[in-house]
Amino acid sequence: MKKIYCNIKKCLGCGSCEIACAIEHSKSRELNKSIAESPLPVKRRKAEFVEESVSISTGCHHCENAACVTACMSGAMYKDKKTALTQHDKDRCVGCWMCIMTCPFGAVTRLREEKIVLKCDLCPDRDKPACVEACQTKSLFLGTLKEFTKICST
Amino acid sequence: MQYVIIGSSAAGINAIEAIRTKDKTSKIIIISDEKNPLYSRCLISYLLAGTIDGKKIWYKPDSFFKDNKVEALLGIKAEKINIKKKEIAIGNKEKIKFDKLLIATGASPKLEDIPGIDKKGVFPLRTIEHTTEIQSMLDKVKSVAVLGGGLIGLRAAYALKNRGKNVSVFVKSGSILSQIIDKDAAGIMQKRIEERGIKIFTGVAAKEITGAKSVDGVALDNGSKHDCELVIIGKGVSPNVEIAKDAGIKTSWGILANERLRTGVEDIFTAGDVSETNDIALEESSINAIWPAACEQGRIAGLNMTGENETYEGSLAMNSIEFFGLPVISVGITKPKSDRYKEIVKKDAGKNIYKKIVLKDGIIVGVIFVNSIENIGIIGTLIKNKADVTSIKDIMLEDYFDYGKIAPLIKKSKRGFKEPEFKETIMTL
Ligand SMILES: Cc1cc2nc3c(=O)[nH]c(=O)nc-3n(C[C@H](O)[C@H](O)[C@H](O)COP(=O)(O)OP(=O)(O)OC[C@H]3O[C@@H](n4cnc5c(N)ncnc54)[C@H](O)[C@@H]3O)c2cc1C
Repeated sequence: MKKIYCNIKKCLGCGSCEIACAIEHSKSRELNKSIAESPLPVKRRKAEFVEESVSISTGCHHCENAACVTACMSGAMYKDKKTALTQHDKDRCVGCWMCIMTCPFGAVTRLREEKIVLKCDLCPDRDKPACVEACQTKSLFLGTLKEFTKICST
Repeated sequence: MQYVIIGSSAAGINAIEAIRTKDKTSKIIIISDEKNPLYSRCLISYLLAGTIDGKKIWYKPDSFFKDNKVEALLGIKAEKINIKKKEIAIGNKEKIKFDKLLIATGASPKLEDIPGIDKKGVFPLRTIEHTTEIQSMLDKVKSVAVLGGGLIGLRAAYALKNRGKNVSVFVKSGSILSQIIDKDAAGIMQKRIEERGIKIFTGVAAKEITGAKSVDGVALDNGSKHDCELVIIGKGVSPNVEIAKDAGIKTSWGILANERLRTGVEDIFTAGDVSETNDIALEESSINAIWPAACEQGRIAGLNMTGENETYEGSLAMNSIEFFGLPVISVGITKPKSDRYKEIVKKDAGKNIYKKIVLKDGIIVGVIFVNSIENIGIIGTLIKNKADVTSIKDIMLEDYFDYGKIAPLIKKSKRGFKEPEFKETIMTL
């Protein structure tokens, strides 16, 4: 399964991934227009400070045994049978926050008013997710765990 | 190979899916005394409230049994298990053979032994049928008495308030949600619920449900009487162990399961609200009658029925509830009973924020977050993996706390964080 990995050694925590993610999930898909949208576009990726001069960009890990899918009481959070990605169907979401309760990465965003959640969908309209493309240090990587392991050791 | 499953809710459904990932062809028979069991039990109060439409209640599509090649015996009760002959007697005296059996019979509402409980207009809230029956009499109802201030009692109260009824909740103990959260958190929740017009009476219990054939009120143990046309009983649940017990399968509070979710009998497994397993925080045998535990146990039991060797690490109490826009989530031990436990608390009364972490020997065993619930899953992960959190103790309740802050613990941890998803952190930090 291909998903997004972050090489913490390379990440500067600059936040380019966050911005690219929010724009990609906006109506206009343009920075200057998207900041005027209502509701404001929401990012599904976070650049997080780890310790001095260490950062990580993190989001949904599409876990093999996804705790959010197990906990979801409405069936809105589910595993795509073909891709094994964790997907979210907002039309079935009831805003029970079971996924927020169980996500080990804090990767599910709650929309209080709408009573639904959002998370990484791996940018279905693009070849490469927006965050990976926007990453200036090439710490973000799209591929399998095997490929990521190989690239990190070289 | 013939698999048989008794009970077709969270545990049974997840077992079917798990079996089918490994065994595409063998026969699976499911026996369910509910006629339409593919709904989400957790959502029946949402349905009663009218906050979801009738479509969202369905956890799996109509075609689920067909898609998974399951023979579903619906509206039929499993009466008896013969463990020697490996067969089950069902309602119409037919016998069903099994090679592997899963008992996923769930739990039933505790019905109190109070006079008048059999009157028309008294309901527990456990099945979609209860919801339909309650709904069908709502036109004639002005006032409702809810007996019990637990999760289900309050969800019912919320639902009926949403339907425009006068709702009063009678709670025997001193505070609401006492099984799940502490007094401080309960106080914040109670205030919000009362502000929105639901009356809550703590320290009061019903002595009798009054009326001729139909309910006309409840007599309380403080001597007063409360008029109502509908009574909802929310006094918790007890596991449906009888069928297992009668067959000679080892039970205590629930059916005793080992770490493969097998019962004391070869080839017979158990999962969900009926099964008693290791509680990760308590470190003792217990039942956590919650949806996520039922689903995970169903999955693991299903896999092991096909011959896999999956280990169930145990369950953790966890609940997520929201009333009138105010959410609360709790995980693990939230009301420690000895001074071996330490608590870290952060409050912001103006914002209705309350956060508490319970520690034992440097390891988190429980957490409550009110209103600011983001990232609580990270705390839950620390509980599950029993990570020593001494180094991050002072920042865990801060707003900026996130996954990045636990990355060093994951890297250092020797016993936990085995899932492949943590490799990225362990490898590159
Ligand atoms: C109103 C409500 C709200 C809830 N909210 C939450 C929540 O927010 N979060 C949470 O985690 N949990 C919640 N729960 C609890 C959750 O629904 C249960 O933990 C879960 O349904 C357990 O699944 P199960 O498959 O083990 O058993 P059950 O759901 O109890 O299903 C067992 C099935 O087996 C059938 N059965 C029993 N005996 C036999 C027999 N002999 N023959 C044939 N069939 C039989 C039963 O009729 C039933 O259909 C809620 C429950 C209710 C009622």
